[in-house]
Amino acid sequence: MNREKVKNFALGGFALAVVLCVAWQAQAQNPQASYTRMAPLDQYLMPDRNAEIALARSAAPDSISRDAEVLVLGQHGYETVVKGKNGFVCVVERSWMAPFDDPEFLNPDQRAPLCLNPPAVRTHLPLTFKTTELAMAGLSKTQMFDSIKAAYDKKELPLPEPGAMCYMMSKQQYFSRKVGNADPHLMFWFPQKDHLSWGAEFPGSPVDIHQYSPQPITEFDISVSKWSDGTPAPAQ
Amino acid sequence: MLAVALGAVSMQAQSQTPYPSMVALDQYLMPDRNAEIALARSAAPESISKDAKVLVLGPHGYETAVEGKNGFVCAVERGWMAPFDNPEFWNPKIRGPLCFNPPAARSMLPMTYKRTEMVLAGQSKTQIMEGIAAFAKKELPPLEPGAFTYMMSKEAYLTDRGDHNMAHLMFYTRVMDSAVWGADLPKSPVMLNPQFAREGIDVFMVLTGMWSDGTLAEVNN
Repeated sequence: MNREKVKNFALGGFALAVVLCVAWQAQAQNPQASYTRMAPLDQYLMPDRNAEIALARSAAPDSISRDAEVLVLGQHGYETVVKGKNGFVCVVERSWMAPFDDPEFLNPDQRAPLCLNPPAVRTHLPLTFKTTELAMAGLSKTQMFDSIKAAYDKKELPLPEPGAMCYMMSKQQYFSRKVGNADPHLMFWFPQKDHLSWGAEFPGSPVDIHQYSPQPITEFDISVSKWSDGTPAPAQ
Repeated sequence: MLAVALGAVSMQAQSQTPYPSMVALDQYLMPDRNAEIALARSAAPESISKDAKVLVLGPHGYETAVEGKNGFVCAVERGWMAPFDNPEFWNPKIRGPLCFNPPAARSMLPMTYKRTEMVLAGQSKTQIMEGIAAFAKKELPPLEPGAFTYMMSKEAYLTDRGDHNMAHLMFYTRVMDSAVWGADLPKSPVMLNPQFAREGIDVFMVLTGMWSDGTLAEVNN
């Protein structure tokens, strides 16, 4: 997802109910610092499998997520724990899915639930699997960048299909200490094209456009006004 | 957009419409050119619309009233841009301001020009349907990825029903099952608009909950 956008939000009142690790404390003292290396794997995992299933499903309204396949992150990558029947897949992504230049990249506290529609399952989920595999193998950020770039260059990773999108409307999502759960939004993915590069951020627009690198992908983030449970989100 | 909140409309409803045919052209026109420019621009936040090209509707079609410099195009569409079976197709009160992003300006705006051209030429709805079908098949540019429009004007009048209006964006894709986007499901902010289904284009509307001036818009699920 586009963590660039949520970085720009005002400090929210999100109260962390987690034990802060040393790296996290350093980050809090210096908001500009990056997470330079992977923390111990267990800091990225959720010990309560049912909690992760519920968090993944909370990305979309129940009318969508109740029939979706659900993945959880285990010691060796994502595993299917609930079979779906509507083509959607709900999953909690970790901070290694953030842009490589995002200061929250590798933040072990980040939890980004999303429910992918069928075109996104076919074309975004492989990127999630690949990036997760690289992160869990302990590769450096540079190695991950190069590996992802090579995978796209060799067409081992697919470009977004028309209509590829996801719901990201969980009230429990957590991006960083600075922005907390940010806002509910939808994300749409397109193959990166020059003609989409006009998408600078326009003040007052609910659309935020992000050009990824090295992924040849353009992402539109559309803010919506309600969380997946139908309750109103604070105006941004 | 112009089909907002109307959804699928039965032929029975169509037969009961108070707008069975086109009325006098001047009822569709806005006498105050500056008011139409302002209404068109109100479709998107000022940061976008202030540099957009602006069209106004004249007796012979849309005319460029303001040249733009950011690739966006703002215009006020009329009722005839609704689905053909919409009972408000000829409603002269309809004012649908929208701002096309550059991909939509290239690949969707020609549809607006064509329908309007045929309406102003006095063609019947049947003739327009046939003409648009041929146009979409042979002349309409391929739909570009990322094509969408802003429809966030607080002053829009999209239907006689309800609140007459709704703040939203419209994304254009080739026709796909609405279930693929989770559209029209409880609490989903996505709705499928059948506006161009006959032409092989789906219009997915995403409710923004915010007008172009930054004030909150009520979203009713």
